[in-house]
Amino acid sequence: MTLVMVVDDDQDLAEMLGIVLTGAGIDVDLVSRGDEVIDVFRNNPPDLVLLDVMLPGLDGIEVCKLIRAESMVPIVMLSAKGDTHDVVRGLEAGADDYMVKPFRHPSELIARIRTRLRRTNTDISGLLTIADLVIDVVAHQVSRAGKQIALTRLEFDLLVALAREPGRVFSRDALLSEVWGYRHSTDTRLVNVHVQRLRAKVEHDPEHPEIVVTVRGVGYKAGGQ
Amino acid sequence: MRSSGAQKPHSLALRVVLSTIFLSLVVISVTGSTLYSRLSAGIKQVKVDTSIIEARSTIFSAQYRLAIASGNPNDSVRDIFNSVITSATTIGTNESGREVVILRVPGSAIGKENYEVSTNLVSSDSIPQYLRKRVQNSESLESTNLQINYAGATSVAGFAVGQRISIPKGGEYEMYVLFSLADQAATLRLISSSLYLTGLALIILIALIIWIVIHQVVKPVRDAVKISQQFTEGDFSQRMQVKSNDEIASLGNAFNAMAESLEKQIARLENLSRVQQRFVSDVSHELRTPLTTLRMSSEVIHNAREGFEPVIARSSELLIGQIDRFERLLEDLLEISRFDAEVAVLEAVEFDICGSLERCIADLSQVATENGVEINLNRPRDSVFINGDIRRVERIMRNLLSNAIDHAEGKPVEVRVMASPEDVAVGVRDYGVGIEPKLLNRVFDRFWRADPSRARTRGGTGLGLSIALEDARLHNGELEAWGELGKGTHFVLYLPRRAGDQLQSRLISLKG
Repeated sequence: MTLVMVVDDDQDLAEMLGIVLTGAGIDVDLVSRGDEVIDVFRNNPPDLVLLDVMLPGLDGIEVCKLIRAESMVPIVMLSAKGDTHDVVRGLEAGADDYMVKPFRHPSELIARIRTRLRRTNTDISGLLTIADLVIDVVAHQVSRAGKQIALTRLEFDLLVALAREPGRVFSRDALLSEVWGYRHSTDTRLVNVHVQRLRAKVEHDPEHPEIVVTVRGVGYKAGGQ
Repeated sequence: MRSSGAQKPHSLALRVVLSTIFLSLVVISVTGSTLYSRLSAGIKQVKVDTSIIEARSTIFSAQYRLAIASGNPNDSVRDIFNSVITSATTIGTNESGREVVILRVPGSAIGKENYEVSTNLVSSDSIPQYLRKRVQNSESLESTNLQINYAGATSVAGFAVGQRISIPKGGEYEMYVLFSLADQAATLRLISSSLYLTGLALIILIALIIWIVIHQVVKPVRDAVKISQQFTEGDFSQRMQVKSNDEIASLGNAFNAMAESLEKQIARLENLSRVQQRFVSDVSHELRTPLTTLRMSSEVIHNAREGFEPVIARSSELLIGQIDRFERLLEDLLEISRFDAEVAVLEAVEFDICGSLERCIADLSQVATENGVEINLNRPRDSVFINGDIRRVERIMRNLLSNAIDHAEGKPVEVRVMASPEDVAVGVRDYGVGIEPKLLNRVFDRFWRADPSRARTRGGTGLGLSIALEDARLHNGELEAWGELGKGTHFVLYLPRRAGDQLQSRLISLKG
């Protein structure tokens, strides 16, 4: 049974989220204060955190940073603010995905949570390579010259998605659908921010990327071929 | 505007200085020439008076001495005559010499001796004929102004006094005493040049004084102009400097009072609208959390509708529909409040507008089919990449499309894309109900409906076109509408290929 930690100070919404998630066969741990999150997280590590931005005690952005400091667990931010500034702030704090209230389709929330919880591409065995990077899909590890690089699950999924089809140019929409589980969205901010973060971790020189290459006007592709 | 505003005080000063120079030129030349003519007349009169007195005594003494010598022999008359000439030119001469000319009266009895003579090589033609005639026909002194010509071809201004004399055994002669006016001319030249110089100096001084005075008056005016311009540019902190206690100072005080009041008013209005926008934004945000709960619970209810009574099942559908509508309204209101607060941000990326348009049409194809509307797309074969905010551009196109579908009355909707290297245009034309041309400028108004009695089929928010217009303008593009009752409407979105550039052309003609 998977466990999702729902952090929201609005009791009714939290309860409703609990009902919806439980209905989808997911266990729920409800937390209503930002400063309680990290203790609950350590005592009972969830498979995913659903985190509201505005929280009493400790701001959601700060909570996100605290969790990211000790875990690569998927984090989905919930925000009543859809302004770019807030979204980018959340993503930069380490969130993998965000949802702006009110969610267009509650079922989409479930779909996205499922995508984030999915065990990545276990059908592919063996090793993938991009340039001098070696990706061990089964072991969920990325290394360069034998040295491991720590990636969040989402960053790993993004890298694997690109590495699996080396010649293909992925549009941002295609990446949103394959990596984030979006059904229809044009929110390219999400892709841009995560590509930047991934580059910061895997590129020799993030200003001149060689692994995640931009194809102007279209999207991204795996480099090094 | 600005250049003429800056020009005005300059030309005012120049105009005043120029007219002052002109007027003082007139006054100075009138007074100067009057003064000069009075002075020259006076100086000449004094000379004439003394000359006549001198000449009279000279001629009288010559006549007297010659008359006394009438009994003497010829030689002795000649001697006396010579001494008379000598004394005539020496007596009383001091600064300017006198000249004497003796001419024989034509037709008088010719003696043995010719006494015609002139001193210092004064040529006899210096004496004008009219003077000679007067002297010949008169017993008294005659005088006139003339030029004294010397044999050496030099000549000076002079004054001549003449009278007939008779020389014993010599006949009738005319005796002329010539006085040089060279000194007087020199004096007058000095006076006139002094007059010119003082006149010139006066004019320069007056111009200078006027310039300084004008500047004292104009400078505060210029300051006021400069500050007004800064006001126009939105800087309300500027004030005029008030140092004195005169009319200029009261101008400054009045100006500053106006500035203060303006600044306060604007600050108050700004604050009001900030509070207002803040309120709208806060309300929208606060509404989101309960709306999320509502939405999820309605979905849970909706998903379970199969076990419900038909009335309750239908109610759950209505609930979901209305929550959708409520949510759209909220989103649109929030977007409008962003535009009003001028915090809307353009997030430009490179994308194919044709691909976007096709996606929008696909999204709306179900609605179009439900309304029996066919959407025909006429696009360039190649992709048209533009730099713009894809979310906003797609929102504009979706708004135009659903608006057209709403009003097409089952007739086809024509969608056209045209592109040039600088611009791109998207036209959406329907042949439905249309709109009265005089109402066209209202279609972008918030919550405005062409026909309030007409039922809303798609439950639009009434803010779609207002937002579309703002979205277009954020790209420095334009959104224009054409329509005629019964002939349909045509909306055209014009965008520069790079957001923020100037539109170079209108690639699709709006009319028709």
